[in-house]
Amino acid sequence: MAASRFAQRDSSRTILRSGLLRRRAELRTGWQRFITVKSLEQLGSNAAKVVSALSGQDAFHDWQPAATMEWQDCDANLPECLISLGVGEGIVSRPSTTKPTVLSCSDFKGLRTKARLETLCARYRYPLNIGLERESEIAEELLRQLMVADRAKLEAKAEFEVDDVLLKLSLTGIYARMKHDLRFLDALNYFYELPQRSVARLNHNPYFLAAWLCIYAQLLCAPDW
Amino acid sequence: MRVAAITDSLATGVRIAREVERLPGVDFSIVCCNLGMRPAFRRWLREFALALKSFRWRQYITKLWSYSRSGRLVILNQPLDDPASVARLKSLHCDVGLHAANVIYRDATIAAFRLGILNAHIGILPGYRGRSVAEWSVLQGDPTAITVFFIDNGIDTGSRIVLREFIPSTDSKNVRELKSTLFGCDARLYRKALEVVVSDGFHCEHNDVSKGKRYYVMSRILTSAVDSILESRTGAADE
Repeated sequence: MAASRFAQRDSSRTILRSGLLRRRAELRTGWQRFITVKSLEQLGSNAAKVVSALSGQDAFHDWQPAATMEWQDCDANLPECLISLGVGEGIVSRPSTTKPTVLSCSDFKGLRTKARLETLCARYRYPLNIGLERESEIAEELLRQLMVADRAKLEAKAEFEVDDVLLKLSLTGIYARMKHDLRFLDALNYFYELPQRSVARLNHNPYFLAAWLCIYAQLLCAPDW
Repeated sequence: MRVAAITDSLATGVRIAREVERLPGVDFSIVCCNLGMRPAFRRWLREFALALKSFRWRQYITKLWSYSRSGRLVILNQPLDDPASVARLKSLHCDVGLHAANVIYRDATIAAFRLGILNAHIGILPGYRGRSVAEWSVLQGDPTAITVFFIDNGIDTGSRIVLREFIPSTDSKNVRELKSTLFGCDARLYRKALEVVVSDGFHCEHNDVSKGKRYYVMSRILTSAVDSILESRTGAADE
């Protein structure tokens, strides 16, 4: 009985993995549905790295930090950090000398869009900080916002804050990888599957858009889903 | 015990009535809401189409007529949480409500029922809260089940679980069939849950939300993986 359950789980994992790899193959050309030539130009020297990461062969880079990881600081700015993670480059970081400000989930929920975006940009300038145990409630809230309010807005073609949605998608992707949580990966799947008319506005921030797609590409070929 | 099904169609109300009215000591009513506030013509055209689909429309009409004559059929024309609707619900003096409409309830609506409103959730609580939980259960190799619990104003966070029944997914070839099987069990499980609620020494299991996760609507790619998993299982069972 137990053996058959293990066999079933193995077979389910194989089916899941092959589905994700199919999506990865589709993304090799499908990313052009999201990133226009003009947006690519705006990426400057990063454009070639982004194109190579999205169109090239699978090259999975594990971001998993040490289990004892503490809050980290870095000198690079957030868009650069996200692109670096997406294209598989490391980010130079150091343990933070100051404790991060306490951010309760209820306070975070109460922030208006602009304040929320500023908070996320400052707090996760070193994006892997989202994977720390103490941030799990915020990560759950990001997932909830994406899959409830943001999803509804995009599907209804209503106004939405592009930077806010894209940053949440990248952070959600990073959390998915660090915590091995399929729910978080599936938020990226869901947004990738939205029709063109819903996602056209995402081009307003080419950096965040490219980072999201590169992180998504990495997740899809992670070997251990 | 006074029980009312809160439904989004008369057909659903009649379906639940067939099961629940068999319980001794239960005085059953149907409360039919107008979800999405459809215009009258569209609302009744939909009701007519659903009635025809039941294939037992004579029985259906007879039952509705009997409920209507005895004042146990309530048609709401305002949203469910409108004060007028809540007042109408309160006037029924119901002990238990049965959730059969695609709505999230406000506190005032829940409080209109002495014990609360039961929900037949198609997943195991507290593990699987939210949307697409049947699919997520299959994908993660967990059993599929229905949990009947008293709702609160959150997403599957009501603290009182009445019963849980495991329903194997092995007979379903795809997600659609699986969900249809699970949703089709609601009336039977409501009857069972009411039997439990009226029994001596009844006590609820605590729904400890810290032991579970909230799930969201599943993407097409993972749904297609779940379809393949279900298909591979039914294929293996046939061999």
